[in-house]
Amino acid sequence: MQRINLGEFEELVLLIVAILHDNAYGVAVMEEIESQTGRKINISAVHSALDRLEKKGFLGSHIGGATKARGGRRKRFFKITVAGKGALDFIREQRNKLHDQIPGLA
Amino acid sequence: MNQEPPKWALRFLRLYCKPRLHEIIEGDVYELFYKRIEKEGLSKARRRFSWDVMRFFRVKYIKGFEDINSLNNIAMFKNYFKVSLRSLLKHKFYSFINIAGLSLGLAACLLITMYITNELSYDKFHKDADRVYRMAGNQMGSWTPARLGIQAKMDFPEIEEIVRIQGPFNQTFNLNGTIYREARGFNADSTFHKVFTIDFIEGNPDEALKEPNSVVLTQSLADKYFPNSSAYGQLIKMDGETTKITGVIADPPKNTHFYYNYINSMPHETWVTVGNWTGNNFFTYAKLTQGASAEALEAKFPEFKRKYAGAEMLEWTEYDTYDELLAASRNPPTYSLKAMTDLHLFFPSFALGSNGDIDNVYTFIAVAIFILIIACINFMNLSTARSAARSKEVGMRKVLGSLRGNLINQFLVESMIVSLVAMVLAMGLSALFLNGFNTLANRNFELIDLLAPQTLLYLLVLVLIVGLLAGSYPAFYLSGFKPIKALKGEMKSGSANAFLRKGLVAFQFAISIFLIISTVIVYAQLQFMGNQKLGFEPEQVLLVKNGSRLSGNINGFRNAVEAHPNVENFAMSDRYFSGFISNYGYQTVEDNPRSYNFMNMFVSAQFQEALDLELVDGRFFNKELVSDTSNVLVNEAAAKWLGWDGVVGGKVSRGEGRDFRIIGIIKDFHYTSLKQDILPMIIRNVNNEGWINEADQWWGTNYLSIKINGNFQNTVRDIEQAWSRVVPDEPFDYTFMDDSFAALYEEERRFGKLFTASSGLAIVIACLGLFALAAFTLERRFKEIAIRKVLGATVPSLSMLILTDFTKLVAIGAVIAIPSGYFLMKEWLADFAYQLPVNPFYLIAPALVVAIIAWLTVGFQSVKTALGNPVKALRSE
Repeated sequence: MQRINLGEFEELVLLIVAILHDNAYGVAVMEEIESQTGRKINISAVHSALDRLEKKGFLGSHIGGATKARGGRRKRFFKITVAGKGALDFIREQRNKLHDQIPGLA
Repeated sequence: MNQEPPKWALRFLRLYCKPRLHEIIEGDVYELFYKRIEKEGLSKARRRFSWDVMRFFRVKYIKGFEDINSLNNIAMFKNYFKVSLRSLLKHKFYSFINIAGLSLGLAACLLITMYITNELSYDKFHKDADRVYRMAGNQMGSWTPARLGIQAKMDFPEIEEIVRIQGPFNQTFNLNGTIYREARGFNADSTFHKVFTIDFIEGNPDEALKEPNSVVLTQSLADKYFPNSSAYGQLIKMDGETTKITGVIADPPKNTHFYYNYINSMPHETWVTVGNWTGNNFFTYAKLTQGASAEALEAKFPEFKRKYAGAEMLEWTEYDTYDELLAASRNPPTYSLKAMTDLHLFFPSFALGSNGDIDNVYTFIAVAIFILIIACINFMNLSTARSAARSKEVGMRKVLGSLRGNLINQFLVESMIVSLVAMVLAMGLSALFLNGFNTLANRNFELIDLLAPQTLLYLLVLVLIVGLLAGSYPAFYLSGFKPIKALKGEMKSGSANAFLRKGLVAFQFAISIFLIISTVIVYAQLQFMGNQKLGFEPEQVLLVKNGSRLSGNINGFRNAVEAHPNVENFAMSDRYFSGFISNYGYQTVEDNPRSYNFMNMFVSAQFQEALDLELVDGRFFNKELVSDTSNVLVNEAAAKWLGWDGVVGGKVSRGEGRDFRIIGIIKDFHYTSLKQDILPMIIRNVNNEGWINEADQWWGTNYLSIKINGNFQNTVRDIEQAWSRVVPDEPFDYTFMDDSFAALYEEERRFGKLFTASSGLAIVIACLGLFALAAFTLERRFKEIAIRKVLGATVPSLSMLILTDFTKLVAIGAVIAIPSGYFLMKEWLADFAYQLPVNPFYLIAPALVVAIIAWLTVGFQSVKTALGNPVKALRSE
């Protein structure tokens, strides 16, 4: 069986980036996680996870244009790569397969 | 309202964050910050902003080496290094002079730094050293009474512990017939280890000094007497008394104001255990409790002294009440506290033989600074002088895109290389000079001391500062050139620049002349004191120092010595000339008695002849006259103080009817160093058997003065043999009167050597610089001289042209140095009662010497240039 090297938090971040599609940058990812799961996390943790995912090849990034909201500082947008998508699919498929084998509780 | 995040957090982020991630991270935390202001308020947002920044402080986001120094920068530094080395190697002559001068200067500084670090470290090794104080009678009374410490500890809770010590003593150790004389022994109370830090190897610290006739030996002394067994518990004879060794301690560190080899317990006699308030026989140390204030304690001492010592003090004076005594005394009687760590440098009279002096430290610092300044001036002068030659390089670099900062870096790297190389050489040089330096500083440094981390650290800091200072002027000056002018060769070393250079050289001359003036005056004063008539004849006098051992049976020894054909005279005394002489209080016997503390000596009838003292009036003691013990002689100073018409025949009294008749006046003689005036002195008589008062068993013969005629060496050997027959258990302890007198000027002679060495060094370094500078100047004026020669100038006139230039500088130096040297040396001479009349020769000769040295340094080169063929200089156009 192929092993996918993905931590729990990393998987969450990867999913959120996929959901946010064109608008996935540090603060947006953090807020989305907070609103979707209710987890309180620090921005630095998000950055750290994003960087790790990019290094593993699941995410790609580009620098966006300047916006006024941040005093003219540019954002770094992330986008899920084919490998990232594949990893998510693989995990999901494997989980479903396992879930299906749980004997029904009468 | 300021809606900005905390500044420090922003700055911190910028400081650590990798530049390429900085904008993104900062953007995110900013965005959150603005959002939070609306939701949670400004102050909370600011707090969370800082927290976020702190959370980003992770290895991943912190700048790495590659962010700090871009690869380009490293390459540039490699390049600076390479270019600097090439330039140094290309101008070998200048580099050699720079490095040689600087390493000499640094070597001097390294040695002096080591000395100063060591001086300042005295007694700091004691645990709680800052709480230990020496108690003093009034302000400067080193000796204190026996009761002071005991009573003060009882009365003042601020005093945690006290200890009284006495010493240093020389005592005779006798172990199974092997006899040695051991120096630096002390007596101490059993609380010694509670005040001072002392490391017991064997024995119980609390018990070791409790019993009388106990001794604690240092490890090295214990090993000397018991090389193969433990010294602890053994018995040894000290000065004839059987003494038990109750402890062995580690040798104390050398940097202490009282270095001990062994410590005796105090005898259990009433003068020690009970004691009194007026006999000053002890050094008392007090350790205060934590947080106690020495000043507050000192404020309580006047009342304390009145309460306990008052009654006893009145017995010794003519006053009836303590208030009368108070009114009559210039300084009200009290005690004071001197911090133990200050004793070595600030209160040398309190230190027990460590001979330190803060003035020495200052002198050494001044010398180090002078020498370093001279070396730095060389460095700066040579670099700026060569600036024109390097202007093309600078211009080219600028054209190729160097910024000013790059050029500054390059020149600083160059000067750093020079100073670091000089540092390595300086360490070698200082190792070579270490022995000489030990003589100058009167210390025993070893090679290992040179490598002490602290000293090396100071040296490194010094080197960096010197490199920066010496390199900064050329760096900033050269880098400011305009490239086009520099390339066109229009950069003449400007007149302002030449002016500065000349000023610095004049300053070097000034320092050299000043140091030579000091040297000359120190030696002239020494010579002056040596040439003064002492008023007695110290030559050919053997001085035996342990005459007290002959107590009661002097006749055998004296007969043996007097029978020797070369012995002219055998005299006894309780003190000796050049040694410490105490004073006794006497009252005049007249209508209105006056009291005065006269210097006091007890001598035998032969003393006048042995030392060739000259009588002005009356007669000396006669050994046939027993009644002479109640007669005295005075010196002229005393006769003057007494002021009577007929001094001979007058009387002085020690009180209680002990009157003495004056039978003669002796011409003034110098009983001690010429630093001190001749004070009024009274000379009393010891009888033929050496007693001052045989009934009271008062022995008056601690010293023997034996006048010898003929073969000195053999006679001394014969006397020594006679001694060992009479006193077999103690070595013969002797010196010669003239040596003993000469030893009084040891400190001044050392001072003279220090100035000789430093002025020599200063001159060598200054001449190195001068030589290079002259070579450079001549090179620049090569064509000028050639043209002058073509137009008819003669060789002598051309040589003079150059010489006059440098002579002017020496003259300016002399103008600065002569007055400052004169005033400073006047200050130094003020310590001497008999001062050298400073004649102008001492001031002018040094300036002439420096001028001659300068001429020799420059002269050879200028003559060579002037003799050269002008065609060679001119055709290269």
